[in-house]
Amino acid sequence: MPLFATKLTLAGGALYVAYDSGLLGNGKEGSVALGRAKDAFPPAVEEWMKYFGFQLPATPKIEFSPLDAWNSGVQKSFHALSVAPSTASDYTKQGLQYVKDLTK
Amino acid sequence: MSEKELGQKWDRCLADCAVKFGTGLGLGIVFSVVFFKRRTWPIVFGTGLGLGMAYSNCQNDLRSHYVLQSKVAKEQ
Repeated sequence: MPLFATKLTLAGGALYVAYDSGLLGNGKEGSVALGRAKDAFPPAVEEWMKYFGFQLPATPKIEFSPLDAWNSGVQKSFHALSVAPSTASDYTKQGLQYVKDLTK
Repeated sequence: MSEKELGQKWDRCLADCAVKFGTGLGLGIVFSVVFFKRRTWPIVFGTGLGLGMAYSNCQNDLRSHYVLQSKVAKEQ
Protein backbone atom coordinates (compact mmCIF):
# COMPACT_ATOMS: atom_id res chain seq x y z
CA MET A 1 0.00 0.00 0.00
CA PRO A 2 2.70 2.60 0.81
CA LEU A 3 4.51 1.68 -2.40
CA PHE A 4 1.36 2.22 -4.43
CA ALA A 5 0.77 5.56 -2.68
CA THR A 6 4.36 6.63 -3.55
CA LYS A 7 3.88 5.64 -7.17
CA LEU A 8 0.56 7.47 -7.31
CA THR A 9 2.20 10.58 -5.82
CA LEU A 10 5.04 10.46 -8.36
CA ALA A 11 2.79 10.00 -11.37
CA GLY A 12 0.24 12.53 -10.10
CA GLY A 13 3.00 15.03 -9.40
CA ALA A 14 4.41 14.65 -12.92
CA LEU A 15 0.93 15.13 -14.39
CA TYR A 16 0.31 18.18 -12.22
CA VAL A 17 3.65 19.78 -13.17
CA ALA A 18 2.86 19.24 -16.85
CA TYR A 19 -0.60 20.78 -16.40
CA ASP A 20 0.64 23.70 -14.30
CA SER A 21 3.37 24.74 -16.76
CA GLY A 22 0.81 24.99 -19.56
CA LEU A 23 2.15 21.99 -21.47
CA LEU A 24 -1.32 20.48 -21.82
CA GLY A 25 -3.15 23.68 -22.76
CA ASN A 26 -3.96 25.24 -26.10
CA GLY A 27 -1.56 26.24 -28.88
CA LYS A 28 -0.68 29.65 -27.46
CA GLU A 29 0.31 28.23 -24.07
CA GLY A 30 2.34 25.51 -25.80
CA SER A 31 4.37 27.97 -27.85
CA VAL A 32 4.91 30.14 -24.75
CA ALA A 33 6.19 27.05 -22.89
CA LEU A 34 8.52 26.24 -25.79
CA GLY A 35 9.87 29.79 -25.72
CA ARG A 36 10.53 29.52 -21.98
CA ALA A 37 12.33 26.19 -22.50
CA LYS A 38 14.47 27.68 -25.30
CA ASP A 39 15.45 30.60 -23.06
CA ALA A 40 16.28 28.33 -20.13
CA PHE A 41 18.30 25.83 -22.17
CA PRO A 42 21.68 27.64 -22.66
CA PRO A 43 22.11 28.68 -18.98
CA ALA A 44 21.19 25.14 -17.91
CA VAL A 45 23.77 23.65 -20.33
CA GLU A 46 26.40 26.07 -19.04
CA GLU A 47 25.68 25.15 -15.42
CA TRP A 48 25.93 21.42 -16.18
CA MET A 49 29.21 22.00 -18.04
CA LYS A 50 30.63 23.85 -15.02
CA TYR A 51 29.44 21.08 -12.71
CA PHE A 52 31.03 18.30 -14.78
CA GLY A 53 34.07 20.39 -15.63
CA PHE A 54 34.30 20.09 -19.41
CA GLN A 55 33.61 22.42 -22.29
CA LEU A 56 31.33 21.52 -25.15
CA PRO A 57 32.65 22.65 -28.54
CA ALA A 58 31.04 25.86 -29.74
CA THR A 59 28.14 25.34 -32.13
CA PRO A 60 29.12 26.39 -35.67
CA LYS A 61 27.23 29.45 -36.86
CA ILE A 62 25.27 28.70 -40.02
CA GLU A 63 24.50 31.75 -42.13
CA PHE A 64 21.72 30.01 -44.03
CA SER A 65 18.19 30.73 -42.82
CA PRO A 66 15.49 28.34 -44.08
CA LEU A 67 12.78 30.87 -43.22
CA ASP A 68 14.28 33.49 -45.51
CA ALA A 69 15.24 31.04 -48.24
CA TRP A 70 11.89 29.23 -48.33
CA ASN A 71 10.34 31.21 -51.20
CA SER A 72 13.58 32.40 -52.77
CA GLY A 73 13.28 30.03 -55.77
CA VAL A 74 9.78 31.26 -56.60
CA GLN A 75 10.76 34.91 -56.03
CA LYS A 76 13.83 34.64 -58.26
CA SER A 77 11.88 32.85 -61.01
CA PHE A 78 9.16 35.45 -61.08
CA HIS A 79 11.65 38.30 -60.93
CA ALA A 80 13.41 36.78 -63.95
CA LEU A 81 10.06 36.44 -65.76
CA SER A 82 9.12 40.04 -65.00
CA VAL A 83 12.40 41.47 -66.36
CA ALA A 84 12.54 38.97 -69.26
CA PRO A 85 10.95 41.27 -71.93
CA SER A 86 13.25 44.23 -71.18
CA THR A 87 16.32 41.96 -70.88
CA ALA A 88 15.43 40.24 -74.17
CA SER A 89 15.02 43.59 -75.96
CA ASP A 90 18.38 44.81 -74.55
CA TYR A 91 20.15 41.67 -75.75
CA THR A 92 18.44 41.90 -79.17
CA LYS A 93 19.56 45.51 -79.54
CA GLN A 94 23.11 44.57 -78.53
CA GLY A 95 23.09 41.67 -80.99
CA LEU A 96 21.80 43.85 -83.85
CA GLN A 97 24.38 46.54 -83.04
CA TYR A 98 27.14 43.88 -83.09
CA VAL A 99 25.95 42.60 -86.49
CA LYS A 100 25.79 46.17 -87.82
CA ASP A 101 29.34 46.79 -86.57
CA LEU A 102 30.48 43.59 -88.32
CA THR A 103 28.92 44.62 -91.66
CA LYS A 104 30.49 48.15 -91.57
CA MET B 1 -7.18 35.60 -42.69
CA SER B 2 -3.99 37.39 -43.80
CA GLU B 3 -0.90 35.43 -44.79
CA LYS B 4 1.02 36.80 -41.84
CA GLU B 5 -1.69 35.59 -39.45
CA LEU B 6 -1.74 32.19 -41.16
CA GLY B 7 2.04 31.94 -40.87
CA GLN B 8 1.86 32.75 -37.18
CA LYS B 9 -0.82 30.11 -36.67
CA TRP B 10 1.31 27.49 -38.40
CA ASP B 11 4.33 28.51 -36.26
CA ARG B 12 2.20 28.09 -33.13
CA CYS B 13 0.98 24.72 -34.43
CA LEU B 14 4.51 23.40 -34.94
CA ALA B 15 5.71 24.69 -31.57
CA ASP B 16 2.69 23.18 -29.84
CA CYS B 17 3.25 19.89 -31.69
CA ALA B 18 6.83 19.71 -30.39
CA VAL B 19 5.73 20.56 -26.84
CA LYS B 20 2.88 18.06 -26.75
CA PHE B 21 5.03 15.33 -28.30
CA GLY B 22 7.69 15.86 -25.64
CA THR B 23 5.15 16.06 -22.83
CA GLY B 24 3.33 12.93 -24.00
CA LEU B 25 6.60 11.06 -24.32
CA GLY B 26 7.75 12.19 -20.88
CA LEU B 27 4.51 11.35 -19.12
CA GLY B 28 4.36 8.04 -20.99
CA ILE B 29 7.85 7.18 -19.73
CA VAL B 30 6.90 8.15 -16.16
CA PHE B 31 3.74 6.04 -16.20
CA SER B 32 5.52 3.15 -17.90
CA VAL B 33 8.26 3.08 -15.28
CA VAL B 34 5.99 3.70 -12.28
CA PHE B 35 2.93 1.55 -13.04
CA PHE B 36 3.48 -0.70 -16.05
CA LYS B 37 6.84 -2.40 -15.45
CA ARG B 38 8.71 -0.51 -18.19
CA ARG B 39 6.52 -1.72 -21.02
CA THR B 40 6.56 0.15 -24.32
CA TRP B 41 2.85 0.67 -24.85
CA PRO B 42 2.33 3.47 -22.28
CA ILE B 43 5.11 5.45 -23.95
CA VAL B 44 3.57 5.00 -27.38
CA PHE B 45 0.11 5.76 -25.97
CA GLY B 46 1.33 8.94 -24.27
CA THR B 47 3.09 10.12 -27.42
CA GLY B 48 -0.02 9.43 -29.44
CA LEU B 49 -2.16 11.35 -26.95
CA GLY B 50 0.21 14.31 -27.16
CA LEU B 51 0.19 14.34 -30.95
CA GLY B 52 -3.60 14.03 -30.98
CA MET B 53 -3.94 17.00 -28.60
CA ALA B 54 -1.60 19.04 -30.79
CA TYR B 55 -3.62 18.12 -33.91
CA SER B 56 -6.86 19.12 -32.21
CA ASN B 57 -5.40 22.44 -31.03
CA CYS B 58 -4.09 23.17 -34.53
CA GLN B 59 -7.46 22.38 -36.03
CA ASN B 60 -9.28 24.69 -33.62
CA ASP B 61 -6.75 27.46 -34.11
CA LEU B 62 -6.94 27.32 -37.90
CA ARG B 63 -10.75 27.14 -37.88
CA SER B 64 -11.25 29.87 -35.27
CA HIS B 65 -11.04 32.62 -37.90
CA TYR B 66 -14.10 31.25 -39.70
CA VAL B 67 -16.23 30.23 -36.73
CA LEU B 68 -18.86 32.74 -35.58
CA GLN B 69 -18.29 33.55 -31.96
CA SER B 70 -21.16 35.04 -30.07
CA LYS B 71 -20.59 37.09 -27.00
CA VAL B 72 -23.53 36.81 -24.67
CA ALA B 73 -23.83 39.77 -22.34
CA LYS B 74 -23.66 38.62 -18.77
CA GLU B 75 -26.81 39.47 -16.90
CA GLN B 76 -25.96 41.30 -13.75
